[in-house]
Amino acid sequence: MTLAPGILFSIGSFHITNTLVTTLIVDAIIIALVLLFRASLALYPNGIQNFLEMLYEYFYDATKEVSDKVEIIYPWVTTFFLFIVISNLLGQFPGFETIRFFAAGSGEEGIPLFRTATSDLNVTLAFAVISVFMCHYYSIKYTGVRGYIGRFISFKMFPIFMFVGLLEFIGEFTKVISLSCRLFGNLFAGETVMGTVSSMFAFGLPLPFMCLELLVAVIQAIVFAMLTMAFMSMMMQKAH
Amino acid sequence: MDILTNIINLFGLETKLFIAQIVNFAILLYILKKFLYKPIAQTLKERQAKIKQGLQDAENAKQALKTADIQKIEILRNARKDADKMIEITKQSVQSIRQQVMDDSKKQAKEIIESAKKNAEAEYEAASKKIGVMSVDLSKSIVSKILSELFTEEDKNAVLVRAVEKLESSKYGKATN
Repeated sequence: MTLAPGILFSIGSFHITNTLVTTLIVDAIIIALVLLFRASLALYPNGIQNFLEMLYEYFYDATKEVSDKVEIIYPWVTTFFLFIVISNLLGQFPGFETIRFFAAGSGEEGIPLFRTATSDLNVTLAFAVISVFMCHYYSIKYTGVRGYIGRFISFKMFPIFMFVGLLEFIGEFTKVISLSCRLFGNLFAGETVMGTVSSMFAFGLPLPFMCLELLVAVIQAIVFAMLTMAFMSMMMQKAH
Repeated sequence: MDILTNIINLFGLETKLFIAQIVNFAILLYILKKFLYKPIAQTLKERQAKIKQGLQDAENAKQALKTADIQKIEILRNARKDADKMIEITKQSVQSIRQQVMDDSKKQAKEIIESAKKNAEAEYEAASKKIGVMSVDLSKSIVSKILSELFTEEDKNAVLVRAVEKLESSKYGKATN
């Protein structure tokens, strides 16, 4: 298993990778859920509506506890969670990565047709950049340009707050790295472990690892969503 | 710089794929916001309003029940009071009717007795008269029978006239006249 996603084919200079295909499948699943929800929408919920309402209320209430800008933050948090958790769980389906695609230069074994979207750094980095960028956008919107700049440059108690500002500035870059690499690392490592264990023992032994991976899949989605929530709520408050 | 390029190549980082993922997420966020989050928020709001209304209605019903209970007790108390009053009035009126009936009966009995007395007296008078007449007739026939054997026709008539005159002057004679 390589760190880079497998290129299935190209449209011009745009590479269609196996993680991009999985991304589209995840999109399709989410849209199908939305359509199912719309079809069964009622004042007295049942089935899928119950599940989606529970999810909505969980993130809405969690956001409400940390910030008063609930309406702004929760759509981001819930969307991150939905996409990441579905993508992670999709990768846990037995045989998901065993379907091979034989592209030019892919060798005799070919490359997997599907690969967990979040085991591609392009995806996790894109999500981390979106998350941190939106934090800064809302920071400027709700605390003003002066408040936003004051977060990083301050002459109070010179040079202590200047140094703190510098740390804050560096911290914004580390946020991107930590968000993207944590998710990518956990999912990629999980898949590698699963692949290795499954290649050694076909039955029995992979089972505990599969359970562990299911747990990791959900936990990592929650971690990403909750960190985004925490970062956004912190950036929307005025710096002291 | 070479290290960075190597890392980018190792992880398969591509600007186009990176941008594609950002665009994909933006579209997904728009769809979810418009078709999932808003309807859920709306539905929860409606449900909350309905629950609130239901609770309010229940509270109102409870209050109405309490008021109805108080009214029921009040109505029952008044009804009992009215019933007692009516029973008292009925007792009084029964007593007065009974008294009236008794008085009327006594009066009627007295009248019947009086009328019976009068009738008996009249009957007695009529019977006395009849007996008088019968005794006169009987006397006449006895006297005429005796006289016919003892006296002549002329004496007989004279005695008869005298007897009649005496009888007429007597108590029985007056009664027959």
